[in-house]
This record gives sequence, structure tokens and C-alpha cells, in this order.
Amino acid sequence: MSSLRVIKSSFIMSIYDTFTVVRPTLWVIQLIVPTLFAMFFFSMMATWAGRDPEFVIIGNAVQSIGMTTIYSVAGIPGTQKHIGTMNSLAMTPSGLFSIFFGMSIFGIIAGFMSIAVSLSAAAFIFGVSMASINITTAVFVILLTAFSIGGISMAISSIGIYLRTSAIIANIMAYIGLVLCGVNFPVSDLPGWAQTVAHCHPLTYAVEATRGAVDGKGIIEMASSLSDPIPMMIILGIIFIVLSLVTFRFFEKLSRRSSKMDTF
Amino acid sequence: MNIKAVAWSFRQQGIQFLADPQWIIPSIIAPFLFTVVALYMYGSVDGPIVLTAVLGGGVLGMWGNTLFTSGYSISYDRYNGTIEPIMMTPTHLIDVIAGRSIWNTFIGLLNAGLVFIAAQIIFQVGVTVADPLPFFLMLAMTLFSLASIGMMFAALYVLTRASFVVMTIMEFPIYVFSGALFPVSSLGALAPISYVLAPTWGVDAMKIAGIAGYESMTEFGFHFNIMMMFILMAVYLAIGYFLFKAIERNIRESGTLVRY
Repeated sequence: MSSLRVIKSSFIMSIYDTFTVVRPTLWVIQLIVPTLFAMFFFSMMATWAGRDPEFVIIGNAVQSIGMTTIYSVAGIPGTQKHIGTMNSLAMTPSGLFSIFFGMSIFGIIAGFMSIAVSLSAAAFIFGVSMASINITTAVFVILLTAFSIGGISMAISSIGIYLRTSAIIANIMAYIGLVLCGVNFPVSDLPGWAQTVAHCHPLTYAVEATRGAVDGKGIIEMASSLSDPIPMMIILGIIFIVLSLVTFRFFEKLSRRSSKMDTF
Repeated sequence: MNIKAVAWSFRQQGIQFLADPQWIIPSIIAPFLFTVVALYMYGSVDGPIVLTAVLGGGVLGMWGNTLFTSGYSISYDRYNGTIEPIMMTPTHLIDVIAGRSIWNTFIGLLNAGLVFIAAQIIFQVGVTVADPLPFFLMLAMTLFSLASIGMMFAALYVLTRASFVVMTIMEFPIYVFSGALFPVSSLGALAPISYVLAPTWGVDAMKIAGIAGYESMTEFGFHFNIMMMFILMAVYLAIGYFLFKAIERNIRESGTLVRY
């Protein structure tokens, strides 16, 4: 119960923190503009390369959640170190996982908003046909994506407790989706080893499931076997949440033992 | 311009970069991944398309590096509490920023080179440059044109504590309008926006020098592109100079520099 209170208050404080530095209008612009330009950029590349731009637009709409969530969640420990509050947080009786999980919720919500806006833009700005979209499936897939990407982001975030920053790993993870996860071209175009890596990343399934939802597929249809996108997103989401819990404990203990909590 | 201050600011930026050189990793990885995406999308690892993909990734890397390092240098001054001492010295802020930007330009060039090498090693791409000397000269000049845009925006970063937001917003528009990874002509009605960007002319000049038989975006050729790039760079630097002066005067008078 007390963990829940910590999560709640961390969540509320993170909203105050965000909007103290950035005005809400600017924050919304920051959420929308890069995504729209990324969709436009890659769709232009696809058109010039003679590929289907709709494939790329949907892919990048889903990729936006990766960018938004991974960056905002993984950057939390680095920010706390930079502004000098990491030690104070570590000295409280609350575990760092609860505090950072609470702070991450806003980033996960931002990712959710980002993908919702991107998919709307795909329909209304880029003219992607949503005539056969299965709304229920799409919403379910977006929620699952936010959950699974949130898990990865938390695992990356935990590294930032020990290292100077986790922003570099976050940067790599956020961009690697462009190549590995079927965002801009099919995963099957990749070499075998890269396909194996791609199938360990929830974004690959998120992209596949979103394309399925846009084509009108239902939840059951995309969950008929364990290797289908929806069960895989659930499995990977759980694995990454558990992994983040373990890595948080590990890096917290490691940085306490080596007094590296506020090293940066 | 105070050359001595610019030189010392360049040196200081170098020291700070070498104290935390890990940032070279993301600034190489992101543009390299753009090159990889382009290579997969274009479906070719040979011929002029490869040069477009590698050059495009390199230019995007240079822009990302210029944009983020220019913006973060002011943000870090705010974080670290060094922006007030900098403002209190008789040296103008623009001289300090210029030194930093030149260092960032140097690192940007290194990024472009590393993207080129990585593409060569990993994909065994057959990159051939038709006319290497003008090509590499234009590569360096294009980087300076990107730095001049960075300088212009750096003035605004002094005004806002949300510079990282401005940086995030500014990243992709240059990718789109520079014509680095696809021709400007494919932008249709939006193409005129590209013509007011100095790097667009630089990228086009590089393609003229690097790709045999390349059809330029205008009929005026290589030298016209260089002229346009220099005119636009001069305009950006002039705007940046006056913005810096105006903003510096304004924050000194109002005392709002570190309102946080």
C-alpha cells in the first residue's frame, strides 16, 4: 500500500516537474512535431525508393511510442543525478523502483498519446486508409505496446542508477527500432541473426499488430498461437517488467555498495 | 569577433567532450541507422544510390550533432551554474558559442567519416566518388552551413530553459528539407522551403561532385550552389549575431537570464 502511495506521489511530482520546465503547449508540440516529420521523412524515402509509403507511415506511427517512452523514462535517473536529487531519493525509505516507476508513468502516458496522435495523423494528414480499422483491437494493441515498451524503458532506466547516464543506451534502443522492428521495411529483409534480435523486441510485434488492426484483424485473430503478436507482446512486456524490477534492485545495490549513486 | 576567446572556447569544449566522449556513440549510431534504413529501402549496395544513402546519413549525423551539442552547451551552463560567470565576463556570448560550434563542427565531420567507414565495413558497399576534392571540400562547407543554423538557434537557447524541446522539434525538419536522402523535387509544393536552407545547396553540390551524371536541383550547376550556400550562411550568421546582441542586452537589462 505504501509503495502505491509512493508511486502515486512520484507520478504527480513528475507532472509538476515537467510543466515547470516546459509549458504544456510546447510539450504537446514537442510530442507531435518530431513524430509527424519522422513519418513524413520516411514516407518520402519510401516513395522515392518505390516502396509502399503506407507501410512506413504506420510503422513510424508505432515507432513514435518507442522514441517518446524510452527517452522520457530512461532519462529519469540521469536527470535526478544532474539536478542533485539522486542522493536524497536514495536516502528515503521508499525503494527507488517505486519512485522511478511513478515518475515513468507520465512518460508511458506520453508515449500512448504520441501513438494515438500519430495514427490519427496517418489517417487525416497522410491519407492512410483506415476504412477497415478494428478500433477495439487498435486500442488494445496501443495499450499493450505502452505496457511492453514501458518495461524495456524501465530496464534501461535502471542502468542509469549506476552509470553516469542511461541516455546513450536509450538513444541506441530508440533508434534501433527503425532498422530491426519492421518499421520501414519487412523484418524478413534482415539477415537471420538480426531477425532473431528483432523477435525479442516488443516493438516488432507492436508494428505487426497495429498493421493487423488497421487491416481489420481482431484480437482473437492475432492471438491464435503463442507466436502471434498479441501473446508475444504480453509475454515480452511481463519479461521486461520483471527484468526491470531485478535490474533496479541490482543496480541500486551496486551503486550503494560502490558509492556511485551520484557519480556523473 | 574576439579570436582569442573563440580559440579558448574551442579548447574548453574539446576538454569537456573528451571528459565524456561516450556521446560520440549515439551521434554516430543514429545517422548510421538512417544509412542502413536507406540502403534497405533503396535495395542496393552499389552505384550512386549508395553514395546518396551514406552521404545522407553523414549529413543527418552532422546536423544532429551540431543541433544537440549547440543546444546542450547552453543548457549545461544553466544546469552547472556557469552561465552567469560567462555572461559577467567582457567576452561576448557569441564568441564563446562560436568556439564551441567550431569544435562541434569538427566532431560532426568525424561522425560523417565514421558513418562512411562503418557502411563500408559492414555492408561492403561500393562507394565511389566521382570528383573527390570538391566533394570533400563541400562536405566540410556543408557542415559549416549546418553549424551556422546551429549558431542562429543557439541565441534562442539563451532565452529558454526548454532548449531540449526546441532541439527535438528542429531535428527532423532539416532531415526532410535538406534533400540528403531523397531529392528536394519530390517534396512538391514544399520544395521552396528547402531553397532557404544553406545545407540543401551544399548537399546538392556534393552530389554534383560525387555522383557522375547527377541531375542538380537547378540548372545553374556546382558554382551557383556554392554561391547560394555562402549567401545563406552569411544571412544566418548575421541573424545570429544580431539575435545574440539583442538577447544579451535584453537579459542584462531585465536580469532574467537564470530565472528558472
